[in-house]
Amino acid sequence: MKTVSLAATASSDSASKAARIRKRYLSRSGRCALFLLLTIALLSIAAPLVTSHSPQIVSGPSLASPSLAHPLGTDELGVDLWAQLVFGGRISLIVGIATAILAGIGGGIIGIIAGYRGGLTDRLIMRLIDILLVLPDLPVMIVLAAFFGPSVVTFFVVLSAFSWVTTARIVRSRVLVLRERGYIKMAESYGAGTFYLLHRHFLPEIFPLATVGMIRLAGRAIVAEAGLSFLGLGDPTSRSWGLIMHHALSFNGIYYTDFWKWWLLSPWLALTLTVTALAILGRDLEKIADPRMEKRQC
Amino acid sequence: MNKLLDILFVVLLFCVAGCDDNQANQANQAEKYDESTAKSPAVVDVIHLEGGDWGYPTPFAHYPRGPGGFKMALIFDSLLERDEKGLIPWLATAYSIEDKGLTYRFRIRPGVYWQDGTILTPEDVAFSLQYANRYGATWSYVHHALDTITVENDSVVVRLREPQAVMLDSIGRTRIIPKHIWEKVDNPKEFTTPDAIIGCGPYTLSAYSKEHGTYRFTAFDNYWGPKPRVKTIEFVPVSEPILAYENHELDMVGVPPDVLPRFQEIKSNRIIRNPAFWGYRLLFNMGRVKVLQDVRIRRATALGIDRQELVDKIARGAAIPGRLSILPPDHVMAAHDLADLPLDPVQARALLAEVGNVPAMELLCSGQEVRIAELLRQRLGEVGIDLSIKTVDGKSRDARVRGRDYQLAIIGHGGWGGDAGYLSTHLLGDVFDQNAAPSASGIDGFEAPELAALLSQQATEIDADKRRESLHQIQHLAIELVPEIPLFYTAGYTAYRPATYDGWMNMYDHHSMQHSKLSYLERSGAAAKR
Amino acid sequence: MQHIVKNLSEYLLTFLVILTLNFVLPRVMPGDPFLFLSSDIGEEIARFTPAQEAAYRQQYGLHRPWPQQYGIYLLRLLRGDLGYSIYYNQEVMAILLARLPWTLLLVLSAVFLSTIFGTLLGSLSAAFRDRAPDRIIYPLMITMSEIPPFLLGLVLLFVLAASMHLFPLSGAMTHFARHENIWSTLTDIAHHATLPVLTLTLVRTGAMYLLARNAMTTVLTRDYIRTARAKGLGPARILARHSLRNAMIPVITRVFLSLGGLVGSAILVENVFAYPGLGRLMRESVMVHDYPMIQGIFLMVTLFVLLANGLADLAYRRLDPRIAEKRGGRS
Repeated sequence: MKTVSLAATASSDSASKAARIRKRYLSRSGRCALFLLLTIALLSIAAPLVTSHSPQIVSGPSLASPSLAHPLGTDELGVDLWAQLVFGGRISLIVGIATAILAGIGGGIIGIIAGYRGGLTDRLIMRLIDILLVLPDLPVMIVLAAFFGPSVVTFFVVLSAFSWVTTARIVRSRVLVLRERGYIKMAESYGAGTFYLLHRHFLPEIFPLATVGMIRLAGRAIVAEAGLSFLGLGDPTSRSWGLIMHHALSFNGIYYTDFWKWWLLSPWLALTLTVTALAILGRDLEKIADPRMEKRQC
Repeated sequence: MNKLLDILFVVLLFCVAGCDDNQANQANQAEKYDESTAKSPAVVDVIHLEGGDWGYPTPFAHYPRGPGGFKMALIFDSLLERDEKGLIPWLATAYSIEDKGLTYRFRIRPGVYWQDGTILTPEDVAFSLQYANRYGATWSYVHHALDTITVENDSVVVRLREPQAVMLDSIGRTRIIPKHIWEKVDNPKEFTTPDAIIGCGPYTLSAYSKEHGTYRFTAFDNYWGPKPRVKTIEFVPVSEPILAYENHELDMVGVPPDVLPRFQEIKSNRIIRNPAFWGYRLLFNMGRVKVLQDVRIRRATALGIDRQELVDKIARGAAIPGRLSILPPDHVMAAHDLADLPLDPVQARALLAEVGNVPAMELLCSGQEVRIAELLRQRLGEVGIDLSIKTVDGKSRDARVRGRDYQLAIIGHGGWGGDAGYLSTHLLGDVFDQNAAPSASGIDGFEAPELAALLSQQATEIDADKRRESLHQIQHLAIELVPEIPLFYTAGYTAYRPATYDGWMNMYDHHSMQHSKLSYLERSGAAAKR
Repeated sequence: MQHIVKNLSEYLLTFLVILTLNFVLPRVMPGDPFLFLSSDIGEEIARFTPAQEAAYRQQYGLHRPWPQQYGIYLLRLLRGDLGYSIYYNQEVMAILLARLPWTLLLVLSAVFLSTIFGTLLGSLSAAFRDRAPDRIIYPLMITMSEIPPFLLGLVLLFVLAASMHLFPLSGAMTHFARHENIWSTLTDIAHHATLPVLTLTLVRTGAMYLLARNAMTTVLTRDYIRTARAKGLGPARILARHSLRNAMIPVITRVFLSLGGLVGSAILVENVFAYPGLGRLMRESVMVHDYPMIQGIFLMVTLFVLLANGLADLAYRRLDPRIAEKRGGRS
């Protein structure tokens, strides 16, 4: 028996009782995460307002330590690091959002088609999904990056090509279940068109699932882009966080000098905070969107 | 908040780690190494150098990339060897050049033994040259360049298809392999049995591991030449060469400029500045981009690039700014009295104003050069040349340069200390084959008949002084015409402990002391210091 | 029976598609393996003459048209011949077999350790759900599981290796060292493998932990556990005897599935720590465009993942008695 309650109790006597109450709001860490993400996004979007230096032009001495003029110091060319960080955030933002949307929506649509149509279409799509799941994504991405040349567009295409599968699978399973529901069958027998069914019945159910999936996707896309940039396969003039780390680590003598303390640490922190925040937010939303995930019993 | 605490904890770890290291290390070093520079013993048991897998050390199987060829040279001798000043007789006791450079005669040294006990004969030498002529070695200098090779008593006579000044060096460097082993081999690249590493050089290969990148060389007791001073050479891969050197796990290390002070404090270290024989250059594709045919634009580019800044920021001071006369200052044929173009953005802008409209162009480079490209883009943008940077991976960049599919490109490579004949490929651009004669037409779009004539002439000029004159003229023209811009030549630092071993030397055209064969041998007999 | 055949044919089809992709991908990379115009900093150049390049191209069969190369490629595969590496001058299979053990060492150790720790911590968390231990462990594990492996690896590299000098910065063992006995060698290898394995383990433990926690929670609230409690059985016995076995099913299948995912992480981690496994080999061969080598690594990695998936499938069917029963009934 499940107890559904909209009321939130901040404190309660026994832990199990609190667990039984279904939350319709974000937990404290979820809110923290959301706040952090919004801050980062805002800083990146408003990058020119937040820094007076250019991320591409030499504006200070080489490898200067943090100071008033250069809050995070400079890299070996003399380019301000704070500027690079906030402009580089745009790359992560774009990659994350674009991939999430493309893969999420694309995956969702394909999942719906597969689940609803069934038959040969479904089998073909499932085959495709299986193959993509088995392909080791990183090696393929490395080779594709070498082929298409390093650029943000390459990443976006390559990441999306791999990411739509998970969403498609989840959505398909849901659609398979939904398809058998009584009211759907009724609507069908009344002559409801596919589009109507999609719009009226499926989408509201699928949407929360897909949204949560997209947040997951965004996180993974950001990590994948950082990883590839870190290996040196990213767009080398893009200032993405992974790339800043790559340049820092390529510096001869990075282990013996103090430069890493600002050069390596700041992009690392930015990346870790963003990814962790996305993950926590994703988990929280998951709990809200699908109570089944919580596995609660009474 | 928990998550934030975790992240903060990690950041704290970072900071703690960063704080204590430098001072502590320096204190330790000062205590331990108090020895003054003593002389090393005459014969040393073992030397450890930095390893890495560069292939099985036969002349045909080592990798093209990396120093595999130098390891191979420890096992296989050649007709001539290189010391600090030039070429010296080695397996050839004497040589002569006849027929205006068409014929080379080498007298072969008697009493040379192969590492399997048999004796070396002039037939072996003739066979090796024929073999290298037929199947190019990995570092090949004579592929398809030799016409006939004959044996006359104790000499080998080589006849070329056409005279070329560089061929003395090229033939001299070709490795001599035992005929009785290689005559049955028709796939030399894949011949990697223990037989394949039988040479007549001072060392034998006693251990090799591909996946770890380790080599061990042991001195050959029956070596014909100067006695090896090092009994065993071990190449060991290490995670951090600097740390390994300080822990006495390595006996020689390249020192990045930022770490130099730490090394200079220790009295037992000797630090040498390497000659600058590796460099980057900026290429102009005059064939494809018509506007680059105008010499004013090329001069403006040279005036607008701050080569010293590149040295300071990219190489952190461990380099020499490029010279428009192409040859680096340490080169034996470098001209030292020519006036180079200075950094002068004002004049650059004036020149560009004369030209009028300069279209935006694309600068091609690989990941290794992207920082250089960024600085170039900024400085050239300030004088009025707009560049966009295109990065591809190294091999793709090479392919595009070879296929002339670029507008401007940066490429980096070694060998700037080698025979000055390479100026043909730099200045007339087309020919990357060391053995082909320079074509008179050169790169499409680059009209330089005087330069082409001079280059042809020096290629066949045997007289050293006359050749030097031609090369002087060529370098002068290079500064005027700016067909390419050498950006900088790297000149790193190497540290070693003389008390452990002090035999290190540099060949006249190379920058790395551990690559020289003479570094490991007594400087007597054929290897006596000149 | 039909089921197994159907499954097998599906796997085979997948495999064929992968083989074709494997063939095509390296060849569409621009730039050919025999061209050397540039070199690494400080290294000599090697320039092959055009005649040499042509000779090599012929030797490796690269002058033939693609369909013909494809046919040869498939035929060779049937014989287990993965071709000859252009750059390393050795049979691809030999190189792979030499490097594979190091990657396996990392991956298997990480899976083993992360499963054990994850399960232990997860069970602990489940038993004390929403109370103090759970409240501490849960967020810690979540954070740990979300940090990308190469970022984690970097931290460990800088903190534990570069700064504190507790571990070597790279490599798999000390070379030419005179080890007195096998233990000394093993200790040396373990010492070098610690940081990479630690990185991969930390990354995986979070996921395992969550799985175990959920599974264990579900099981703990089931009726048969209540019965056991009512019977007066101690909590340890309940945990070990009844809950663990049932909770293990999703964990074990997840273990197999995660093997595939770990390969990608292993590639990055090997590059961070310069560990001589397949991950580093992959990056090196892509850099020099060594087609046979790239193909060989792809194939091996993909086979590995396919195998892991297959095993997961098998394990799931065999371990879960409900499915095993159904399988008997259906045909």
